[in-house]
Amino acid sequence: MLQVEGVTKSFDDFMAVNGANLTVNQGEIVAVIGPNGAGKTTLFNLITGALKRDKGRILFKGEDISELPPYEICKKGITRSYQIVNIFPRLTVFENVQVAVLSYQRRSSNLFRPAQSFAVKETRSILESVGLLNKEKNIAGSLSHGDQKILEIAIALGNEPELLILDEPTAGMSPEETQATIDLIKRLATGRGLTILFCEHDMDIVFSIAQSIMVMRHGETIIQGGLEEVRSNKEVQEAYLGGD
Amino acid sequence: MFKSIVRTKWFAVVAAIFILLFILPLFAPRFFVYIFALIYVTSLLAMSLNMVVGYGGMFQFHHAVFYGVGAYAVALMLTKTSLPMWVGFIAGPIAAAITGLIIGWFCVRLTRLYFGMLQISLGSLIWAIVFRWYSFTGGDDGIHGVPMPSMISSLNSSYYFILIILVVCLILMYMIIKSPFGSTLQAIRDNSQRCEAVGINVRRYQLGGIVVATFFAGVAGVLFVVLEKSVFAEMLFWVLSLEIFIMCLLGGWFTFAGPILGAAIIVALRTFVGRYTEYWTLILGVILILVIFFLPEGVMGFFQDLFKPGAKEAVERK
Amino acid sequence: MFGPAELISQLLVGISRSMILFIVCAGLSFVLGVLRVPNIAHGSLYMIGAFTTFSITKMFAGSAGFWIALIVAPLLVAVVSLVAERALFCHLYEREHLMLLLFTFAISLILGDLVKIVWGAEYKSVSAPALLKGSISLFGASFPRYNLFLILVGPLVAIAIWLFTNKTKIGKISRAAAVDREMVGVLGINVSWVFAIAFVIGCYLAGVGGALVAPTVSITLGMDHTLIIEAFLIVIIGGLGNMWGALVGSLIFGITHSFGVLFWPQFAIVFPYIAVVIVLLLRPKGLLKSVW
Repeated sequence: MLQVEGVTKSFDDFMAVNGANLTVNQGEIVAVIGPNGAGKTTLFNLITGALKRDKGRILFKGEDISELPPYEICKKGITRSYQIVNIFPRLTVFENVQVAVLSYQRRSSNLFRPAQSFAVKETRSILESVGLLNKEKNIAGSLSHGDQKILEIAIALGNEPELLILDEPTAGMSPEETQATIDLIKRLATGRGLTILFCEHDMDIVFSIAQSIMVMRHGETIIQGGLEEVRSNKEVQEAYLGGD
Repeated sequence: MFKSIVRTKWFAVVAAIFILLFILPLFAPRFFVYIFALIYVTSLLAMSLNMVVGYGGMFQFHHAVFYGVGAYAVALMLTKTSLPMWVGFIAGPIAAAITGLIIGWFCVRLTRLYFGMLQISLGSLIWAIVFRWYSFTGGDDGIHGVPMPSMISSLNSSYYFILIILVVCLILMYMIIKSPFGSTLQAIRDNSQRCEAVGINVRRYQLGGIVVATFFAGVAGVLFVVLEKSVFAEMLFWVLSLEIFIMCLLGGWFTFAGPILGAAIIVALRTFVGRYTEYWTLILGVILILVIFFLPEGVMGFFQDLFKPGAKEAVERK
Repeated sequence: MFGPAELISQLLVGISRSMILFIVCAGLSFVLGVLRVPNIAHGSLYMIGAFTTFSITKMFAGSAGFWIALIVAPLLVAVVSLVAERALFCHLYEREHLMLLLFTFAISLILGDLVKIVWGAEYKSVSAPALLKGSISLFGASFPRYNLFLILVGPLVAIAIWLFTNKTKIGKISRAAAVDREMVGVLGINVSWVFAIAFVIGCYLAGVGGALVAPTVSITLGMDHTLIIEAFLIVIIGGLGNMWGALVGSLIFGITHSFGVLFWPQFAIVFPYIAVVIVLLLRPKGLLKSVW
């Protein structure tokens, strides 16, 4: 479904991503791991078009998307959540998700009908599936951190993505919230048939959800493979797992 | 249940205010009628600015240009052509919206301060042309004695005309702000990066917002001509743009009615203070400093925060 | 249509006017670079510089007044700006850009009326000192000595600013603050005072510009408004916070304006605006690298 081939990105002199390779197959849950500064977030920014790659190709369903602006890539079926909470703080929880649903339904330019009459069912169903329906009228900025991270995912679901990218979905969460989020991700993958690409620090989480793991270091791909393959890889053990 | 009662109460208050305003000319002296009409025109201008600044989060630094373009378009049509008068009235907002489209097209490619400064520069170009083109625009003299249809030529009839148009525009603006387009615009204000990521072409929506807002600024320009039967080059000068900005700030950025309040306060103050002193700008400056230091969310925002503490917290967190 | 002598003389007039713009804009750009605030009151300070120069030249007989004013007027402006900064502005640094911008607008409104209270609304004029009166012949065209003086002063000021920002400690710190203010804070330097000093120096330059422009124009209320828009545009097309950018922008602005005067006087003020639009279409972020 998604192929990243030899993608490179540098900021001034710093090579953030240096020839990364990644394959995500339909229906798979893929994790990207690596130490801080390995280039995981930059890689996600490149896939979703927030940054432009210097070299390499990014293919989605066989089509080169590396030159497209973010909003086009979203329309192709890739959406994402962010590591650092990135929501619409002044809007309500409902409106946060509705913005995305309206965009997906191509109704954002409707000028004279009240927004409340659109996309209500879809928005509510998303909020229900992530468990935020009881807080739909709250101002998003006043939610707890954990709820804001969940809202992150809910917004990303608004566009009915085929590929969902989650950047450290459980960062800063309490253990209970983390467990709930893991369950949510599993539910999304099986219930909605989503393909999920995520990165995560906590190895227990990675090994409990992921079916395939890609390991990055200094912007390079060390290996991508199944859980056992990655676990037993010498280089990975030295570079990353061993050091933990 | 509680909410619907509050809503009907609000509706009753708003309706009562409008009924009061409608019968105002029956008992108020002419001067008051004039000041109120001026407040309506200025309110519409301030609200149109707030659509892009408060709801759209864009640094629309030179909004007065569109007001001036609307006013000049109708004044020129009525004085220099023999077209039916209603054509001129429609030409004002359309000319303003087209100007908004052209200037906006350049501006939305940039962000924040660059956006604002580029707009000041492009707007000042239009001001400079109007200011210098004596043979066409009357230069710094402006155009006086613009003929009006007899139906709206007296002060009272122009008062009613302005009030009715204002009410229509307020309803339209309210609908737009509450529409999917309006909520998308607010989402862009809050977080344009995230909007791109959910498939919204941010620049296009910003440009759309500018065109809509400049259209209403053009309507305000037309109403000014209806009231004053004159246009001046100062209407396009950037100092007026910042004055409208102050109205929005004073009334409250993130509230629908705030700019009306701000416009009313500024126009009323200018009129009454102007009787005692010629140093109005000094007083305006002092007011502005006080607002910046003590009322950063504006008068309306201040009262809203008393009732809805969540919103403020959200902003502080940001 | 026009002989080469006229063209050259008009070019020199344009350059000499650019020098005043440059001095003012370098100050604006410096403040913009360090504090990240487009200071609308900059124009008002320039106006105060010009009016003060008028008053000082009235106090002294002969040319001495002008030379004294050239020293004293900018200092007075610097004091005014220091008071405004320490009393009010410094409490706002943590706030949004928009608030800072509107604050400087408020200051400009207040200063504008204060000038009206102190000096009245009439036009004022200052005559150039005896040494710089009259014209000299240059390439067959007569050229005012005072404008020649401006062309010499401009580069001197540029060198002075360069020496200040590159060779003095406070200059280096303020340059670093422009690039990375957190780092300056980490170094244990009082950022608030760095901002104050940068602000005052920028405003001082506005005063220098006001004093220098006094003999070339009629000094009037409203000169602040015209100047500040021009200065904004120059700073943008040059690249925000870049001093050499301010120089390039000033030259573009001054020269297009002076040729505009020659070719189509009625619309002379439109020419620089068109130049600005063209520059911004080609390079939306300005010609030289912005410090932002």
